Amino acid sequence: MNSTLADIADGAPRSAAPPARPLTVTLLTLVRREFWEHRYLWIAPLVVEGVLIVLGAIVGHGRVHLPNDTDFSGLPNLEAQKVAAFTILQWMLSVPACVVLVGVVSWYALDCLYAERRDRSILFWKSLPVSDGLTVLSKAVVALLAAPLVSFVVALVGFLVFAGILALRIAAGGVPSVFSWDLLEWFRTELVMLVMLMIAVLWYAPVVAAMILLSVWARPNPFLWAFLAPVVAPLLERIAFGTHYLSGFLKYRAFGIWGTLAHGPTHGQLNIITHHGLHPVGTLLDEFNIGAALTDIDLWLGVAVTAVLLYAAIRIRRYRDDS
Amino acid sequence: MTAVIDARGLSKSYGATRALEAVSFSVGSGRIVGLIGPNGAGKTTALKAILGLTPFDGELRVLGLDPRTQRDALMREVCFMADVAVLPRWLRVSQALEFCSGVHPRFDRSVAEGILRKTDIRMASRVRELSKGMVTQLHLALIMAIDARLLVLDEPTLGLDLLYRRRFYDTLLNDYFDKARTIVLTTHQVEEVENLFTDVIFINQGHVVLEASVEDLGSRYQQLTLAGEQAARARALHPFYEREVFGRVAMLFEGRTAAELKPLGELRTPSIADLFVAKMQGSAST
Repeated sequence: MNSTLADIADGAPRSAAPPARPLTVTLLTLVRREFWEHRYLWIAPLVVEGVLIVLGAIVGHGRVHLPNDTDFSGLPNLEAQKVAAFTILQWMLSVPACVVLVGVVSWYALDCLYAERRDRSILFWKSLPVSDGLTVLSKAVVALLAAPLVSFVVALVGFLVFAGILALRIAAGGVPSVFSWDLLEWFRTELVMLVMLMIAVLWYAPVVAAMILLSVWARPNPFLWAFLAPVVAPLLERIAFGTHYLSGFLKYRAFGIWGTLAHGPTHGQLNIITHHGLHPVGTLLDEFNIGAALTDIDLWLGVAVTAVLLYAAIRIRRYRDDS
Repeated sequence: MTAVIDARGLSKSYGATRALEAVSFSVGSGRIVGLIGPNGAGKTTALKAILGLTPFDGELRVLGLDPRTQRDALMREVCFMADVAVLPRWLRVSQALEFCSGVHPRFDRSVAEGILRKTDIRMASRVRELSKGMVTQLHLALIMAIDARLLVLDEPTLGLDLLYRRRFYDTLLNDYFDKARTIVLTTHQVEEVENLFTDVIFINQGHVVLEASVEDLGSRYQQLTLAGEQAARARALHPFYEREVFGRVAMLFEGRTAAELKPLGELRTPSIADLFVAKMQGSAST
């Protein structure tokens, strides 16, 4: 190819076509660009953790309100209860971040390739030597890797700040001593959350890829499609055939993997706190059937579907032009 | 000379509408080519085909590459500016530079910074905070920092005032253009830029009506201005266009010699704008 290009340079002598930027440099630039445009990707988790820290650790009275059905009877002594309270705090700062992450990633996936069509900047992006494949890949990397990681790290740091502030207040004597640090428990819990996050990413990847496809394809508005289709389609199915396959399928894709992941006394219910007592949280890892989740055929079918959907998105963006 | 753009039988339809009908033209290296035609003539479609933004039928080579299958390699050598509205509003000037240097192997950040220093554009500004003229300056700075072989400009100065337009073309010509580069430009303001062109391609209703270098225009076309009473004699020489100006008649001829025309009136080379109007009306009536 270089020779073809060099043939044409019969004016002034010029350097041959330079190689493309290294793939990692280009991809990193593309990912950074996503965080420039979609600032809620990092602002939203920061706000959530900030609010939790301010309300819980700074303004709060240092009392941990546990759910009503919490039963500490399974725990041997007060110290074990304090460690459990510590772990519960850890979850309490993570779960809101995860809920927000679901919203943030959904919004991002629906908007990422629609925004460039809406503001007509697509022609600017396409004037640069970035392939459609790399562009779509960068959006998928942000939705499935970068955004979850940012959320995870923010929640992790958020908890440390939260616990640090509370520990200072306890030391100052202003609030009762409600929890005890336990490095091993902390590390185990973070690991459990990371594994859950990883499985969640794999399980929901086809949903995210479908949203990215909507984002590149839908006219007039991908958000409309994403909110109406899951409601209208099962309804039509029920009216037309009297069956519930679609709603069953959607429900399965929404929650299915968590039943596979949890086993034992919880019977498919993944509760940190159960009527059998607080899971001595370190053993939560043993409660998980990670092997079963990771060998779930539907999980990997979903990953394959993700690849197909992303490929379709790449093909559609090739000649997508609303102008 | 090998052509930078070589189109043979380029066709494109949108449903039943034929945007381009077996169009052939070629653009040589080191030329500034005006692609001129009325709205809906097929200019933008031709540019989109060249830039690999739309599928098409026929043969098209740009820098020896096929825009349909080799677009990624092509975009390392080609630069384009669709029009002023396409820079995303959220982008900061510094981010624009950062992004281009991150993805473009031929982008020289210091060049862009040098150009921007001469403007009122600040690095921390977002595109949405800039005036339309400043956005165009920014876009031009980005493009001029790219060492591209082919620059395609589609109505780059649309909606800008005269000062910005003049500055835009001055910068382009003085600081950017050299013999190793080729520029293809479409614009409505033909009069303003006709001194810029080395070549023109007139396109109307999906057909190429005229393709010539500006030097050739002088020997191929003549404009004769004469008093009304001479008109009959001049008409015998078959002008392809004629109009009345202040009681005198202006006629355009193709392929006549000065010896034939000189005795009849005032002879000169028609402006590109006049020739364009004449050719468009001519081709519309057939």
